[in-house]
Amino acid sequence: MQLKFTDDDNHFRKQAREWLADNVPNQPAPYDGQPAREYALSWLAKCHAGGWSGIGWPSEYGGRGLPPEKIIAWYEEYVRARAPSVLDCTFVSVNHAGPTVIALGTEEQKAFHLPLILEGRSVWCQGFSEPGSGSDLASLKATGVVDGDELVVNGQKIWTSFADIADYQELLIRTDPEQKRHRGLSWVICDMKSPGITVRPIKNLAGVTHFAEVFYDDVRIPLSNVVGGLHDGWRTAMTTLGFERKTAAMGVQLALSIRIEDLIALAEPKTGSAMAERLADLRAEAAALRAMTYRTIFREPSNASDGSLMRLYFAELAQRIAQASMDILGPEALVDTALTHDYLEAYSETIAGGTAEIQRNIIAERILGLPRE
Amino acid sequence: MTCDLNITDDQRQILDAAASMLGTNYPATRLRDGAIDDIASIAEFGSFMLALPEDFGGTGFTVVEEALLHVLFGRHALSPNALAAAVATRLALSEGDKDMAEGISSGAITVCAAVPDTDGARLLIDAAGATFTLEFGDDFLSLIDLESVEITDVDGLGHGGVRTSRLAANSGDPVHSTEDDTVRQIADLLVSAQLLGVAEATRDLAVEYAKVRTQFGKPIGVFQAVKHHSANMAIQAELLSAQLDMAAVAVRGDMDHAEFQVAALRRLSPRVALFNARAAIQIHGGMGFSAEADVHHYLKLAHVLSRLGTVRSFLDIDAALGPLEPA
Repeated sequence: MQLKFTDDDNHFRKQAREWLADNVPNQPAPYDGQPAREYALSWLAKCHAGGWSGIGWPSEYGGRGLPPEKIIAWYEEYVRARAPSVLDCTFVSVNHAGPTVIALGTEEQKAFHLPLILEGRSVWCQGFSEPGSGSDLASLKATGVVDGDELVVNGQKIWTSFADIADYQELLIRTDPEQKRHRGLSWVICDMKSPGITVRPIKNLAGVTHFAEVFYDDVRIPLSNVVGGLHDGWRTAMTTLGFERKTAAMGVQLALSIRIEDLIALAEPKTGSAMAERLADLRAEAAALRAMTYRTIFREPSNASDGSLMRLYFAELAQRIAQASMDILGPEALVDTALTHDYLEAYSETIAGGTAEIQRNIIAERILGLPRE
Repeated sequence: MTCDLNITDDQRQILDAAASMLGTNYPATRLRDGAIDDIASIAEFGSFMLALPEDFGGTGFTVVEEALLHVLFGRHALSPNALAAAVATRLALSEGDKDMAEGISSGAITVCAAVPDTDGARLLIDAAGATFTLEFGDDFLSLIDLESVEITDVDGLGHGGVRTSRLAANSGDPVHSTEDDTVRQIADLLVSAQLLGVAEATRDLAVEYAKVRTQFGKPIGVFQAVKHHSANMAIQAELLSAQLDMAAVAVRGDMDHAEFQVAALRRLSPRVALFNARAAIQIHGGMGFSAEADVHHYLKLAHVLSRLGTVRSFLDIDAALGPLEPA
């Protein structure tokens, strides 16, 4: 058990800190629509120009292939500089679609998409959930029928973040009707400008519109857009789960350590007061989340169930911190501000990407070995 | 890798050896007899010396391994006498009293743990046979000679479940006393390590029970309500374990953020242990409420350990935010 950063690590950290100090945008990120797209892409392009895009990607694909201790240093400096949340409309491309294409894509797919992603020139969304397939993803019904060298796609997806401003979608569809559940699915790259696609944005409870329903009416997608083999889409979808829950989650998790410090500074609680105790508890919990992040990032091989545990702890801690911010604000909690907006957005933490209940089942069954129903 | 919070092979080896020693000498069945643990085997294993300087019997291990060892002690619901001995050895050594340190770490001198009471008195745990007690004060540690003092047995928590005695105010001579941060940090670390052991043991007891207890024709672990309690226990144990490792590594390296990490740890550990003990009792149902099941021993131990030292205000300690070691 070691916790030592080398001179090289510290030099890297210093470079990151200096670059961030000079380049983090002054304006807060817009919540949705074209302004959100332009802001996120311009920030990513700036990161790319500075050499800070795709730091965890292999260098042969334009990344920097950095080891975990440098990635963690980057995200620590990133959140410390109050840089834009990594959960913007480039999150799926950089942390999910890109790594999936790297792992299982064809040379053509890599050559075309990876530079667009890294340079901040494309936005991706994720088409997994359907109205009838939320927690039970493997029951999904959207179909793709092979017709010559194309798939003809019909069906509906929902809760697709940034569908209205995305260029591409990682789309999970049933291509082999003879097979059930996890089998017979395909993971395809869908061009969001394809004829037959209708996007209907959905306003969320925070009053902003960053997710949507997507309808597919005879949408033709070239077979060459399948990633990881026809009918083998479940494996493709699971391939980068480890990356998403470890590397990508770092920036999100470490941000909580900053959020709680900012909240303590805002509240200035009296020593011994109930609020001081509550904030101290939250601060300790954020420290533990950070310790878990440190531990998990260096654990090999990656273990998706491990990720569930940390993901769930993060989600519920984020909600507790957001709830504390409302109590600190007092009557001002009734005014829409970044803090109150974050409070409302935090309700999604225990729903999106697998509900807290499903995560608990996964922990109980896969980590603790309790019997399945 | 210079930056890794996972257990190494060397650490795994000593922990396996310790687990085997504990399994042989301190089986769970002993808890039902109600006798105070003789911790001679713990001393013989070198538990109280392994992290000391090598010229004092240390074997090249550090406070990190010592903390991991105390997790196992907590898992076995060992008498707090082992904790008292470990911290008292450190205290004596920091005060330059090598004889005392030698006596305690070899097991020749028995030390029990003392909790400061509100009126200046102290509550002693497992005091029978102890010749010294280590008082875990709010901001101090005191080693008190119990020779020629009168201690009174009281009916401990759970009608004697916790073996409690009272030492009157102004009674007993402090042989050594310290407000030294390093020794107190180690005390907080080891108390929290044992609380983690309680959290892990109760999690495991509950999960094992949920696999074998059947109702409605199925193991109760099939039901989501039970699964979710169990998952919560796993999360609690995991977060505390990660924080323990972080704090132990920081203390070992005398790092700037050690104070912050230990304070966070000490704040989390009682809550986590009590959470898991409660959940484990609930999952055991009627059995959990009986004195025959082992769970209640852990609940009571968690209450004892929680009283050793204190949760500090913590907001005044600088956060470890950017680099854990300054650039």
